Amino acid sequence: MKTDISKMRNIGISAHIDSGKTTLTERILFYCKRIHSIHEVRGKDGVGATMDSMELEKERGITIASAATSVNWKGYDINIIDTPGHVDFTIEVERALRVLDGAVLVLCSVAGVQSQSITVDRQMKRYNVPRIAFVNKCDRTGADPLKVKDQLVDKLGHNAVMIQLPIGLEDKHEGLIDLVTMKAVYYRGEDGEDIEITDIPSDLLSQAEEKREEMLDAVSMFSDELMEAMMEESVTEDMIHDAIRKGTISQELTPVCLGSAYKNKGVQALLDATTRYLPDPTEVENIALDLDDEEKEIVLEHDLEKANVALAFKLEDGQYGQLTYIRVYQGHIKKGSELYNTRSRKKFKVGRLIKMHADHMEDITEAECGDIAALFGVECASGDTFVQTGLNYSMTSMFVPAPVISLSIEPKDKKAADNMGKALNRFTKEDPTFRTFVDPESNQTIIQGMGELHLEVYVERMKREYGAEVEIGKPQVAYREAISKMAEFNYTHKKQSGGSGQYGRVAGFIEPLEDGEYEFINKIKGGAIPTEYIPACDKGFKSSLDKGSLIGFPIVGVKVTINDGQSHSVDSSDMAFQLASRGAFRDAYSRAKPVILEPIMKVSIEGPTEFQGNVFGSVNQRRGIIISSADEGTFSSVDAEVPLSEMFGFSTTLRSLTQGKAEFSMEFLKYGKVPKGISEELIKNYEEKRRQESGK
Amino acid sequence: MVRSELNERGPLRVFEKSINGGLGKGHVGVLASKKGVGKTACLVHIATDKLFRGRHVIHVSFSQKVDHIVNWYEDIFKEIAKKRDLQDAIDIHDEIIKNRVIMNFNSQGTTIDQVLKSLGAMMTEGNFPADSVIFDGYKLADASQDDMDKLKAFAKESNIELWFSVSLNGETPTFNDAGIPTLLVDRIKDIDVLVTLKYEGDHVRFQVIKDHDNMETKDMSLKLDPKTMLIARE
Repeated sequence: MKTDISKMRNIGISAHIDSGKTTLTERILFYCKRIHSIHEVRGKDGVGATMDSMELEKERGITIASAATSVNWKGYDINIIDTPGHVDFTIEVERALRVLDGAVLVLCSVAGVQSQSITVDRQMKRYNVPRIAFVNKCDRTGADPLKVKDQLVDKLGHNAVMIQLPIGLEDKHEGLIDLVTMKAVYYRGEDGEDIEITDIPSDLLSQAEEKREEMLDAVSMFSDELMEAMMEESVTEDMIHDAIRKGTISQELTPVCLGSAYKNKGVQALLDATTRYLPDPTEVENIALDLDDEEKEIVLEHDLEKANVALAFKLEDGQYGQLTYIRVYQGHIKKGSELYNTRSRKKFKVGRLIKMHADHMEDITEAECGDIAALFGVECASGDTFVQTGLNYSMTSMFVPAPVISLSIEPKDKKAADNMGKALNRFTKEDPTFRTFVDPESNQTIIQGMGELHLEVYVERMKREYGAEVEIGKPQVAYREAISKMAEFNYTHKKQSGGSGQYGRVAGFIEPLEDGEYEFINKIKGGAIPTEYIPACDKGFKSSLDKGSLIGFPIVGVKVTINDGQSHSVDSSDMAFQLASRGAFRDAYSRAKPVILEPIMKVSIEGPTEFQGNVFGSVNQRRGIIISSADEGTFSSVDAEVPLSEMFGFSTTLRSLTQGKAEFSMEFLKYGKVPKGISEELIKNYEEKRRQESGK
Repeated sequence: MVRSELNERGPLRVFEKSINGGLGKGHVGVLASKKGVGKTACLVHIATDKLFRGRHVIHVSFSQKVDHIVNWYEDIFKEIAKKRDLQDAIDIHDEIIKNRVIMNFNSQGTTIDQVLKSLGAMMTEGNFPADSVIFDGYKLADASQDDMDKLKAFAKESNIELWFSVSLNGETPTFNDAGIPTLLVDRIKDIDVLVTLKYEGDHVRFQVIKDHDNMETKDMSLKLDPKTMLIARE
């Protein structure tokens, strides 16, 4: 079976909370199923059990809550990939964005472009995802799709163009005018499935003509053919579609559709736009990293005959066990074939291969490049890359940012303790930025992540999904230590009294390393230290970085150069040189002006302008630096850089400062130097703690 | 070159010297030229020079996005650091960034009251001790006398200097005999320092039209480097 890849779409639907993403998704599935059941004969083998759970889903006979759902619209196969709503789960969101070829940005016609839309849009831009916009809720009081289009231009910097106009707004919203065909489209019948196409009502004709002109002007930039046809007045619909498609795929144009999913208006037209303007998998360049060649970028080819490359982008615990959703980028994966997981370096056999449809699960025998499928019972983590044996590619960089915050958790009872283990095991597989370990000193379970909210959400999920209630401790910031200047060392480790002796001398210098955690340079000439002991020196220095002497946190950014030393024919050993190196580091470290680093977060706050002063004040009180503020009239936003240690409880403070009308998002930006006063305090506390521990 | 040397020898010292030691706190300065000559680059250079000397600057803009203003600062900083071979450039960059805030006013019909209220909030609640405020893209020529008075009062009360960029109309803007752009003739009494930028041959020249009480036109012996967009000695 070779599918027509030009008729395949992998899309995401992304939206701010409350802009109607769920309703829209549900309507899309509903209409697609209708079309499907009318035009195609079902009954291929393996029509699996339905997976309905929610009431709404039961009623309609479809599944909404799935990581990827395949539907069919007018002969096109559309995979709808769920994009998580939380902007804090950067990794999870970004992983979902990786597998999309295009997206529908849903906006509320009343609220317009909101802070979360801005964050999600920024991420999509980073991953070069072409977008079309859907202005939803045109039936709401205060609906103004044209204003939302202007916001797309102003706030998000899109070259947004209306390709439709509403027929009536608020409670009079009946349908839309298609500016390409210049026809009025009404959605009749109980579920809006009876589409009536008529001439444009006379009172809207002049506006429609004006907006069509605007649209053509913008769109013709992408097609010489269209531009010529405009001059000769021989424009065809296909020319316009082609030009919009070109503009959309190059991300230089955002076509804007509108309607009301709740009132069943405009969804079918949105589906048409999705299939017409968003790219098929071959039109998007995908890059893998060659792990055998320093993560060199390799452009993958849409070729069924090439070696297989697929990305596991989501794991789901279903009633049938673990489902692993994959996107195939190159080659085709067959049931029964062998794949290699480049992260775990394990081979496995493809057992059951399935496709999730809105109303059933279909067993398939192969998944071709460009497509999305799911595997049953594969042991892996999300983000893993599966390849044909012989390749060593990864779809995502193996670099995972180090967690910046940790929290101790304690199960409330025995049952919670068991479930907590299961939950933690699952979460660490799903999210590489979430880590957990048992602190050997306090014997407590520690969870680590990218922010307070990040950890809070997992604590909440533990309770809700796994019935594991836990007590949480105070959040702890992941500080780092670093050196700020060069320091030389010349250290001899000597123990030659009785028994087998130890002897080793190392000399050289340590200096700050701008990017990277650790580098070891061997400049020994003439065998002052025999080559066989060099790895031991490297190991000795490296292990010294685990715990700094200032406050006991790991040391980062150190370049060690050794250029001299001495060995003893009998008493030198690996151990002796390791100890000499550790001693040398300890000795040089204090002279290299060590400093404490703390995670600095990029914080974006948005709220009514009347509270601007309060927001400025709260950032300032938290040692934050305001980078910029943007005043949009009644609404304004502030971008700031604030140390993570000062951000605890910020959501509560912000809520009370602004009567709950402001919201904020934050992500890790960089490590920055801790100011002197605070640094001294941290050192004092650490010394105090150590004194207490040794006094015990 | 180290930072102190740069501060002593930079072309901005020439700039200040030709306007009698600088604009001075409580005063209003204007940089005027036709569109596309490089006013924003000059303002950003003036602001960056102040930042180098440990002053605090608020950059007020009226554009769509703040990103490109941030980019201006980054570019100008990079060019200065490169040209002067600045030592510890990264540390200095991080340090001076703390003393700069960009405030963007995006909506149409933003009133001067709103702008001043936000500036006030930044300086008091935000605890930002601004020395200079740069107004880029504010239509100073169109402002009412009432608004102008408010701006001047704000400069005096807050003890800060205000720099404005003013775009002159059309391809060939007109000037009166004293060298004052026609657009600003009625406003000149409210301006303490007026500097114009004009194309001359292939580069942009600076002229002082008004320098506090002095109304004599003077050439500043400065030009705008077309490649780096930095203010440079002639």
